[in-house]
Amino acid sequence: MIMASPIPVEINHRKEKGVVRVTWEDGHVGEYGCEYLRGYCPCALCQGHGAKIKFVEVPDAKLAEISAVGNYAIQFTWQDGHNTGIYTFDYLKSLCPCPECNRSKDR
Amino acid sequence: MGTVTRDVVLEALKKVQDPELHRDIVSLGMVKNLEVTGGKVAFTVELTTPACPLRERIQEDCQKALVGLNGVTDLQISFGAQVRGSKTGAGQTDLLPSVKNVILVAAGKGGVGKSTVAANLAVALKMHGAATGLLDADIYGPSIPIIMGVKGEPKKIEVNGEFKLEPPTAHNLPVMSIGFFLEPDQAVIWRGPMLGKALHQLMADVHWGDLDYLVVDMPPGTGDVQITFSQQLKVSGALLVATPQDVALADVVRAKSMFDKVMIPIVGIVENMSYFICDGCGKKHEIFSRGGAERAAKRFKIPFLGEIPITSSIREWGDKGVPILVREPQSEISRTFLEIASRLAGQLSVVSEIARRAQSLKIISS
Repeated sequence: MIMASPIPVEINHRKEKGVVRVTWEDGHVGEYGCEYLRGYCPCALCQGHGAKIKFVEVPDAKLAEISAVGNYAIQFTWQDGHNTGIYTFDYLKSLCPCPECNRSKDR
Repeated sequence: MGTVTRDVVLEALKKVQDPELHRDIVSLGMVKNLEVTGGKVAFTVELTTPACPLRERIQEDCQKALVGLNGVTDLQISFGAQVRGSKTGAGQTDLLPSVKNVILVAAGKGGVGKSTVAANLAVALKMHGAATGLLDADIYGPSIPIIMGVKGEPKKIEVNGEFKLEPPTAHNLPVMSIGFFLEPDQAVIWRGPMLGKALHQLMADVHWGDLDYLVVDMPPGTGDVQITFSQQLKVSGALLVATPQDVALADVVRAKSMFDKVMIPIVGIVENMSYFICDGCGKKHEIFSRGGAERAAKRFKIPFLGEIPITSSIREWGDKGVPILVREPQSEISRTFLEIASRLAGQLSVVSEIARRAQSLKIISS
């Protein structure tokens, strides 16, 4: 039950590459493709009321803006106007696509 | 024969981590009043909450770190607590500046036992030694005064030249309820601005004094009323109460969507009415399918704080105005409330720590 409480120190939208690079407090770095991030949008509109989070493909999703929510989450605003996804730090960390994080994955 | 010094002790204590905050207790500022005289070492560990669920573990770790040190002949570790709070949300001004942690107890729908849970958790936090208050904002059915057996009314007092309302106390907690402003049996039709004003008064005009925790019983549901209410406040987080059925997931999704909209973090989910403890044979019976709320918690990565059973006594004493924790403090359900309150306090410490550290987050584009 005790959470690892990952905390990001920098979130860098690398526009040309179409990725978001997140640097965590413990030095860990993850690069998230925009389509990947959008596909795992946790909001009810994208995910419905299903029991598991699922990947909802939005081809060619382009990121417009990234903002901090309180001091506990990140909000991504997409170019198509979608902005209801609130990614808590825990959730964002759980999505880290790097090989190290993927070794023991349970999504 | 080596001599032990303050610096040596502090170095050794840097090996002791707060298991929830993932940092050593020295850099967290938790080691206080350190005195080293000859071989005698004494200090106080200032926990982030008197309800700290990991006090024993921290104590053991401190002992392990110091007992082997050269020159230490005597070790005295005492514990204190200084609650740290953080608040977030769309509220323009903090209507509750003397309160360190404001917790909204919410449910996606009515009938889950939210008010009983809110009341007993507040009593539990108080029993752990925290300065706690209880605010009943459930405009549809303000039952907190009944559950707590509140006698008496808010009194007008003068504080710093202003008139405020002093909440009556019940079982040593200050309790304020929207019900105090209603005539008995009054059918109230709440309209937007009137409601907003009433709720605003309920918070801003009340003299709470210095509190570590204010537990707020929200109206059940996730509509405009709840959104409006949440938007006025700066809160530490929300606690969702759900029932075990699979449909609990839909309720949690609704509640989470609402709190996302108003940008308030959900600090935990509790499952109420998880099972029935028979007062005849003492056996546990699962009346509803089990685990729905826990599954919902997992899906959203929200901490699951525990399961609360139904017993006939909880309702019986609720009707009589005596929370079960006061009436039967040794019962299984009371111990459950105390544990859940501990975990809630622990989560609020984590939220507070994360909020502090996340202040330096940089968002850039390149």
